[in-house]
Formats: sequence, C-alpha cells, structure tokens
Amino acid sequence: MYLLFHIFLYKFKASLKSVFDVRSVSVVRSVGSFLFYCGFVWGVYVSTRNITIYVLHQTQIGLYLYHRFLEMILFIFFIAVNLGNIIVSYSTLYKSPEVAYLMTKPLPSVSLFVIKFFDNFFYSSTTLLFISFAALLGYGSCFEYPWYLSVAIMVFVLMPYMFLAACLAAIILLGIMRVAGTIGFRKIMGLLCLIYFGFLVLFFSFSNPVLLIEQASRFYPNVDRYFAQLPIGAYQYLPNHWVAEFFFSMTRKDYTAALCSETLLLAVTAALFALTLMAAKRLYFKTWLISLQIQSNRMSEKDGGRIRLFDFRKESFLSPKIESLVKKDFFLFFREPSQWIHLLVLLTIAGTFILSLTNMNLNIRIESMQFFTYLILFAFSGFMIASLALRFMYPMCELEGKQFWSIRSAPVILEQWFALKFILGFLLVLTLTELITWAMNIPFLRYNPRGELLSWFGIYAGFWLATAMSALNLGFGAFFAEYTEKNPIRAASSQGATLTFLSSLLYLFVFLAIVLLPLSNYFQSLFHFTKFARESIIVPGTAVAVLSMLAGVWGWHVGLRSLKRDFLN
Amino acid sequence: MIELRNVTKKFGTFAAVDNLSLSIPTGEFFGFLGPNGAGKTTTIKMIVGLFTPTSGTVTVNGFDTVRQPIEAKQTLSYVPDQPFLYDKLTGREFLYFVGGLYSIDKSTLQSRIPPLLEHFEIGAWIDRRTEEYSQGMRQRITIAAALLHKSKTIIIDEPMVGLDPRSAKIVRETLHVEASRGTDILMSTHSLAIAEELCDRIGIIHNGKLVFCDSREKLQADKNRLDGTFESLFLDVTNT
Repeated sequence: MYLLFHIFLYKFKASLKSVFDVRSVSVVRSVGSFLFYCGFVWGVYVSTRNITIYVLHQTQIGLYLYHRFLEMILFIFFIAVNLGNIIVSYSTLYKSPEVAYLMTKPLPSVSLFVIKFFDNFFYSSTTLLFISFAALLGYGSCFEYPWYLSVAIMVFVLMPYMFLAACLAAIILLGIMRVAGTIGFRKIMGLLCLIYFGFLVLFFSFSNPVLLIEQASRFYPNVDRYFAQLPIGAYQYLPNHWVAEFFFSMTRKDYTAALCSETLLLAVTAALFALTLMAAKRLYFKTWLISLQIQSNRMSEKDGGRIRLFDFRKESFLSPKIESLVKKDFFLFFREPSQWIHLLVLLTIAGTFILSLTNMNLNIRIESMQFFTYLILFAFSGFMIASLALRFMYPMCELEGKQFWSIRSAPVILEQWFALKFILGFLLVLTLTELITWAMNIPFLRYNPRGELLSWFGIYAGFWLATAMSALNLGFGAFFAEYTEKNPIRAASSQGATLTFLSSLLYLFVFLAIVLLPLSNYFQSLFHFTKFARESIIVPGTAVAVLSMLAGVWGWHVGLRSLKRDFLN
Repeated sequence: MIELRNVTKKFGTFAAVDNLSLSIPTGEFFGFLGPNGAGKTTTIKMIVGLFTPTSGTVTVNGFDTVRQPIEAKQTLSYVPDQPFLYDKLTGREFLYFVGGLYSIDKSTLQSRIPPLLEHFEIGAWIDRRTEEYSQGMRQRITIAAALLHKSKTIIIDEPMVGLDPRSAKIVRETLHVEASRGTDILMSTHSLAIAEELCDRIGIIHNGKLVFCDSREKLQADKNRLDGTFESLFLDVTNT
C-alpha cells in the first residue's frame, strides 16, 4: 500500500508540473483550452436546460416519458464510457513503457493495475465527466436543484455510474486478453464486435424509442398515464435504469425510492470494483505476459522478400516522392492493428447507420416532426463525420513520430506533404459523408417525391462538412503534435483532440444554425404544396461555403505553421 | 561544402549556439566535438533543416538552408544520433521510401541497394520489420539510406553510440571510403580516438561557441604542448 501511495504521489507531482508549465506556448494553450472548455460546458448547460424546458413544458411529454428517454441516453453514455475505457486501457495497461518499467520493480501486479486503472479512467473519461456535469447542472436548474445537490449527484451517482462502466471495461479486457492467448487476438476482437453489436440491437429491441413514442402518444396529452400500462422489462436490471429511476424519484420528491436506486448503484459498483481487483490479481500479470507474446508473434511475422500488392519495388504512375509517402502511410496504417480494427468498427457502425436510414419509416404527417427528424439526423451525421475525422485525421501528424526526421531532412516540400496527408484522409471522410447524406435523404424522398432539392443539399452540405472537418482535424492534429505518441487511439483522445472535437461541434452548430430556416421553409413548401423560392437558398448556401472555407483554412494555416517549427525530437 | 556565418540559435533566452562561424570545404572530413549540451546536435539540426537559426545564415553546397531548403537538402545526407525508423516498415521498404524522397527511380534503387546490403552485412534482416532491429542494425540501415542518393555532403551525428565493435568497424570503414571519394563529411562524436583517426580537421564547441578548430597536424602540436594526449587538450579547451 505504501508503494502505491508513493507512486501516486510522484505521478501527481509530475502532472502538477505539466499543469503549471510556465512556458509561453503552454500557458497560451492552457488558457485557450480552459476558455474553450468553459464555453462548451456553458453550451451544454444551456442546451440541456432549454431542451428539458421545451420537452416538458412545450411538448408536454411528461416526467415519466422524459426519464425513459434519459434512460436511453444514459445507456448510450454507459456504452461510450465502457468502449472508451476498453480501447484506451489496452494501451495503458499493456503497451505503456511505464508498465514495462514498473513490472521490474518489487510491486505487486495488482497495485500496478490499480495505478494504471485510475490513470486510464481519468484520462479517457475527463471530457465526459465535464460534459455530464454541465448537463446535470442544466437538468438540475429546471427542477430548482441547488448547485451543491448537483455536485453531490455528480459525485455519488454519475461518477459511480461511469466508474461501473470502467470496471466492466477492465474485466472485459482482462477476459479478452486471457482468451486471446488461446484463440488469437484478431478472432477475439471480431467476437467482441459481434457481442457489442448484438447487445445494442437487443437493448433497442427491448426499449425501442419509436415504439415508446407510438404507445405513449395514445395517451397524449396525458402521457404519464402510459406509466400505468407499462410492463416491467428486462432493462430494469441495467444500471442506466437505476440512474434514470433515481432522477425520476428525485423530481417526484420520492426520496426513499431515490435512495434505493442510489444504494443499489453504489453496492453494484463497489461489488464490481472488488471483482475487478480479484480478476486483476489473478489475471493482470498473466495477461501482460500474453500481450508481450502477442506483440512478439506479430513482430516475427516476416514480411518476406516476395513482392506484394503496393510493394515499394513495384513501378507506379506516381512520382517517386508521392509514391514513397503514399505507400509508407498505407503500410503503416494496415500493419497497425488498432488502426484497421478501429476503421472496421467505424465502417460497420456507419454501414448499420446507413442501412437503418434507408429503411426508416417516416410516414409522419406532422410537418414539424419531419423537419425536426431531418435536422436531428443531419446533426447526427455531422457528429459521425466529426468523430471519423477526429479518429483518423487528427493523429496523422502525431503518428509520424520521432521518425519524422527522415521526411523533414529530405527534399520534401512540407506544403505538398501536408496536402497529400489531407487528400488521403479527405477521400475517406468525403466518401463516407456523401454515403451517409445520400442514405439520409432516401426515406424523406420516399415520402416527398418533389423534394429532389434535399438530394442536392445533401451532396453540397456533405462536401463542405467533409472539407472543413478534415482540414480542421488535420491542422489541429499538426498544431498539437508532439511526435511522441505511438498509439493512434490515445492520440485521438488527448487534450488537443478533445479541443479539436469541440471545435468541429461548434462548426457543426453554426452550420446547422445557417441551414435551419431555409430547410424549415422547404419542408413547409413540401407539406403545403406551395412553391419554394430557390433563390432563397443562395445566401445560406454561400454562407455555409464561406464558413467551411474559413474553418478549413484556419485549420490548414495553423497546422502548416506548426509543421515549420523546429523539430525538437 | 558547408558554411555557417554568425549563426545563433536561442531557445527562449538560452543560446544553444552562439555566433558560430564555420566553413567546411568540399572533400573535407570535419570532426565536431564537445561536451554534452555544448551545441553540437543543435548546429547539425540547423544544417539539415530541422531547426531554423535565430540569426545568421547556413549554406550547404551554395544553397541557403532557410531560403532554398529543398535544393540544400537534395545535396546532403543526414544520419541522426538516434536512428528512429518507421517500426512497421521492413529495412528494404525503408530504403525504398528514403530513395523515393530523393526522387531516385526504381531501376537505380534496384542497382544501388544490393551492394549496400552486402557492405553493411544486413543479410536476411532486410525483409524484417525494423521494430525487431538492434541499435546497430538500425544504425546500419540509416547510414545505408543516407548513402543511397550519393550526396555531396554527409552530416552524421554520434555514429558510434551503442554500436558493437563489428558495427562500429563497418561504419568507420564506410565513412573512410566516402571521405576518400571526395564527399565532405561533418561528424559529431564523443570519441576522441575516432575523430583523430578519421578527420582532416577537428572543431570543439563549448557553451555554443567554437573554442578550438584546427587540422590534424596542428592538433598534434597542440597536444604536445600539454601531455601529448587529445584528452588533455579537450579538457583544457573545454575547462571554463
């Protein structure tokens, strides 16, 4: 235990040094980050408050239905924390040089696990902690919670809830690594993807939001009466249900029920943490050795003298410089499992999203509902594109690593190199963006055959979204690059990456604000069979293009300037 | 040919290189020595374009490294002190990659690579990923890559660090051959013996300033002023 505190103390001292780094660049970055975070947190607070007021007072869906939706959001939140922890903890627990170093010290492996587990939890969940706290404050303000009650709920409800997700992630990862030693890492990753996908399908089959609206609407405007009709589902055993129940009970001032939900959550979290420690005691060192074995097996796969597809020895129509850079990026990407596995997962998610969009039932004859559905889907598509750009374009420069000397000292024009990086990432982002926006329009066009303008809007908006987000992510990735992080997932979840993601969301928000009115008018004209003045989209269309160009040029400029800095590694 | 004129490099208020002027003519093998933190690597990084000088100019084969960086880099080869390679590429792929950066066509590369592999005794390692390589093997691949485009100038930073005697011998022989071909070489090293053995002229940098710069012959006379060893001379000129 003494050793544990000793290490925690020195880690804390080291982190304090980076927090109080007085170099001008660090201070500017820290102040900038802080202001940006504050702005974003304020935005989350205001949005949550306004949405809650709108949903409860304008649409009058009732407290019960509101909390059922909250339960679904909490489930997605749980999965996000859980997946984030699994992905990041693989690097933290198994690939970190710090672990390899501390393994040589007289320290029980379970203590080392505890250090890295907390390290990982706070690293991968900090942004979610901030966002959830801001959302909680916004929610609490609608029910006149004093601020200290929100703080208490954060500490005693939401943090244990996130901690539960992290414990589950650690247990799953230990299990994966144990089984990977027997059946191989690739198979286990495939299996995990299938299990997760199955679990998501199962959850939404049990608590389908469309079904929920349809059933509850039968009682409209007294939707709370639906409460009495509701059968108890299997989802009552899930922690998101307990948290949602806690909030629901608090709004009804049923403190006994709230306390019951809270006690259940804390007890399960404590039990799962104990189980995590037991699993770590049994498995951590064993699985760490397995991870070494997997890494050395992968290394000893000889790439051979035979000429493969895209081999460097093959002739190409590209110039030698461009060919070298493209092939290098191609091999580095597809030889790094965390890159192609993640791409596969994201493509599967995007594919599922596209498929569900094309099959969506939009036979809602309420004008505002179709418009809002379109807007929400468009926002969600934008969110997906932002995530994709963050994951694959942000780390591009960082991953050049200390080896970047070979390019920086060669006769390579940095502008060209940067443009090439942009094109490679942009092609992927643009293709997916256009596919998503195309799929998104299908159900709307099915019910609005006159709405061909939506297709053009999709192509146009998709192009600008992809351009701006690609340039922003690549540029900011270059700006924050320190060329030391080898793991793309950790690079894409760093502080710089978070700021970049928030910038992308801010851009998306302004984008949506610009297209809101013309889109609304267009849907009105479709519903009322009136003529839509196409000239009215020229100004917002130009504004969207200017906004995207500004965002893109900003990212490009910031990135390129940073690349020309001294290469200190 | 390398020429540094009143070059200063500051990091904040600290001057890592302070008003340094140095000229290395074509075909000269120049040894660059100095204690840890003296400014050797900073100077080298300014020559190869990884750092921009705070003031002063650096020219390589007549090209200003700030105003004409591409032309300057095309004429030089750089071997860093830490041979960081792209882990997931094989040695062969790395050589083709670097060759491409210098616009060398495939047929030329195919003829130039095999003799280099033989000379550096890389053998079967060439088709293994560089993440498996030892320090010595990484250094051999890095130097082989630097020789691919037959540059006029070679800048090599601490070439002997972490090398076993076999690797060290290969590197020493390679530099000797390159020097005899008329390539100008700037080599930074901590090894006084190697500098004495290989270099035509030796410069010693201390606290960012050039405190000694003379030919091998004059070095001998300077050594004799003290106890006849290079070590004593080195300690004498770097003793502030």
